Amino acid sequence: MSIAAAASARPESRWDSDRVALAVAICLVALLLLLFVVAPLVAILKLSFVTPDGVGLANYAQYFRSAKFTRIVGNSFAVALTTTVLTVLLAYAFAYAMQRTLMRGKAVFGLIVLLPLFAPSLVQALGILFLLGRNGVLNRTFDLGIDPYGFWGIVISDVFYSLPHAYLILSAALAAADARLYESARMLGATSGRMFRTITLPATKYGILSATFVVFTIVITDFGNPMVIGGDYGVLATEIYNQVSGQGNLTMGAVIGVLLLVPAALAVVMEKWIMRGSHATITAQSQPLELTPRLARDGVAFAFCCVLCAALLLVVAVVFVASFVTLWPYNLHLSFRHYRFEVQQGLAPLWTSLWVSLLAAAFGVIATVAAACLARRLGGYSARLLYFLSILPAAVPGMVLGLGYILVFNDPANPLEFLYGTLVILALCTVYHYHAQGYLIAATSLNQVSRVFDEASTSLGGTFLRTLRTVTLPIIAPAIASIAVFFFVRSMVTLSALIFIVTPKTQVAAVSVLLLDDSGNQNQAAAYSVCIMLVVGAALLLFHGVLAVLRRRRPPSQV
Amino acid sequence: MFLSLRNVVKRFGAQTALDDVTLDISEGEFVCFLGPSGCGKTTLLRVIAGLERPDGGALLLDGKDLAGVSARSRNFGIVFQSYSLFPSMTIARNVAYGLECRGWERGAMAQRVRQMLDLVHLADQAHKYPHQLSGGQQQRIALARALAPKPVALLLDEPLSALDAKVREDLRGEIKDLQSALSITTIMVTHDQHEAMEVADRIVVMNAGKVAQVGTAADLYDRPVDPFVAGFLGRMNRVNPAFVGLPAGGQDSFLGIRPEHVEVDDAVGASEGARIAEVEKCVFLGSCTRVTLRIAGERLVVELRGKRTDISPGGKVAVRIPAEAIHRLRESSG
Repeated sequence: MSIAAAASARPESRWDSDRVALAVAICLVALLLLLFVVAPLVAILKLSFVTPDGVGLANYAQYFRSAKFTRIVGNSFAVALTTTVLTVLLAYAFAYAMQRTLMRGKAVFGLIVLLPLFAPSLVQALGILFLLGRNGVLNRTFDLGIDPYGFWGIVISDVFYSLPHAYLILSAALAAADARLYESARMLGATSGRMFRTITLPATKYGILSATFVVFTIVITDFGNPMVIGGDYGVLATEIYNQVSGQGNLTMGAVIGVLLLVPAALAVVMEKWIMRGSHATITAQSQPLELTPRLARDGVAFAFCCVLCAALLLVVAVVFVASFVTLWPYNLHLSFRHYRFEVQQGLAPLWTSLWVSLLAAAFGVIATVAAACLARRLGGYSARLLYFLSILPAAVPGMVLGLGYILVFNDPANPLEFLYGTLVILALCTVYHYHAQGYLIAATSLNQVSRVFDEASTSLGGTFLRTLRTVTLPIIAPAIASIAVFFFVRSMVTLSALIFIVTPKTQVAAVSVLLLDDSGNQNQAAAYSVCIMLVVGAALLLFHGVLAVLRRRRPPSQV
Repeated sequence: MFLSLRNVVKRFGAQTALDDVTLDISEGEFVCFLGPSGCGKTTLLRVIAGLERPDGGALLLDGKDLAGVSARSRNFGIVFQSYSLFPSMTIARNVAYGLECRGWERGAMAQRVRQMLDLVHLADQAHKYPHQLSGGQQQRIALARALAPKPVALLLDEPLSALDAKVREDLRGEIKDLQSALSITTIMVTHDQHEAMEVADRIVVMNAGKVAQVGTAADLYDRPVDPFVAGFLGRMNRVNPAFVGLPAGGQDSFLGIRPEHVEVDDAVGASEGARIAEVEKCVFLGSCTRVTLRIAGERLVVELRGKRTDISPGGKVAVRIPAEAIHRLRESSG
């Protein structure tokens, strides 16, 4: 048997079909990333540095000559820093209550805190206006005389908006704990306060830093909330919009874009750089923490979570209610008149959003899973380059990416100009705007798949593509489904990246909300937001249904 | 020579995992790579499998250079330490996998899968998923999967080390029987000397990326070249030449005595040439009793068959060391 079989060890040329497939896939993934991430960035940078007199900082000098613009930079930082501190503190307390106490109602709290993820970023601002605005129900009822427009309005809206992001990071950090450390400390006579200071805080410091930078990036690049509740308090994100859409000044838009890009990119770089130093503190020998009931601790935690969740819920609920009454807050009779959508193209934008989201879900899965699989297969420097390109979009604010898309794809000289004004470019823009997050989900779940499977498949004669199709992808199917749903939800609610590249024919739902609010139709804006949230809710239900079926059909995978 | 390794070198960064390894393996032979963790034995197997690219040297199969042949095309069957069965496929599909890759025709494939499952006595598990099987069963399926495409050679990477002791012993007998029945060239990596001695035709003892010694189990046990090999296969007392009345053999050489080769008698009425030793420690291990003795300032560990109630710490015994029990050893290079 062996002699005959030995002859079947096939010598091969450097370019067998497997390597060709791999090379084609790498080129395709890299080309798309260059085209839809790098090219728009380069275009923005070029526009901001090029003046009639040559390359230089003249545009920036002109920008900073204006006191108004200088103030806007200050405003952006003031809002971002204040919001970051508040959000991280609240999220840490919330995550601590969820992970380290035995309070009741965790399942409900855990759902409510995620609500802001499933609504466009301006819903928080809209809700706060319904509560505390000039015609807000609290303001009128109690005659508070509060004016939420401006700094505090943006800060409160953005705290709510960014809370779930910080919570998810800190919750993961607090979930990992080694009981042996706490037991040793207690045996040595440490109080709970000392244990928190000496064990819990140090163990979660990477989570805290990561949450800080993530929240900072989200807030400084947020466009929806400041647009709705900012009033005269201009920030960089809204100022780009004013310059580009209001005054048609693309150059100034690009300059502000770069000013926004720099802190956002720095925050992302810092986050990645700091997280490099973090490694698993939890090993196979670690003992999970066993919590014991403590009345005072659990009670305080419960009260805190109730207050925070009530506030989160109230802001969304008031938007629901306002959309179903005749005229908030004067006539509270049930009415569906705001759902007639007689202005602003009716429901067409909602359908557009749905199609764009489906496209984005399909293409987002392919793009990010392909990138993650290739990076895993390649290893070494080429994998690092692919990783860099894949997570680069995390550093690019949506407004900047969108402006870059105008510059690149609204250019008649570009052979891809035909994409402009189609649903495809909207889907592509969303996919590449959120590429980093999708990529990280894919890469993380691939990392949990033992390489032994790849090696076993290879040694049995499986090609790269066959291994992917029959071995790797079926194992990570649940992660793939969650990437699809991630892209779907993101493109249903995203505003900043698309605001510049929608055309009257391809207006999306989130933009409709903004325009309705802008034209004074707050109740219709609320109704439109509700429609978006319902679609997102339906998609999530569907996703969990599919996941449940998948789980029942497939054996629990050993990875 | 069937499989030839010529001066194979493999580095991971600054660390040298394989340092100039040269080895020949004949067709149908069962070879074990034996050594402590980190000695390079698994790396060597992976280089042979094509899963690692060597930094130097050559690999020849039937005289043909394997350098340009990818792992996928080498047609070696490999079994990993554990959990390498594809979790999303049934047992039958796992075994069929290599055949699918080679484009086997459906009927032939089904027949081959059945034949392989019969070979490992698990035909009734064909439609289960890997997680429904015990660890031992999973490894037998992994073996069936590796053998199904009729590989040139079988490579086993510590296939038994994740299993319970009893299962491990059963399965290693089964692997040996399978290998003899199919007369397939097999290389097994292990850190367990008993495993290696039981199944291997030849054992390659490795230390620090180098081949320390190659030979049959008897060769290595009776004629270890250095204290590393001597200590890795069984135990070895290390004594000065003066202790047994021999001249010193130079700086790098010393003498070794296996514990079971020392003869122990009652101290009273000791025969001519016997030496009196003091019993320091006495441990009963089931099939033997391990006794630590002190003679003239030297410590000597001795193993005696069965339970010895006549020996206890503080007592005296007579010791005789037969001339043929004394090994002259070189100092290990590693």
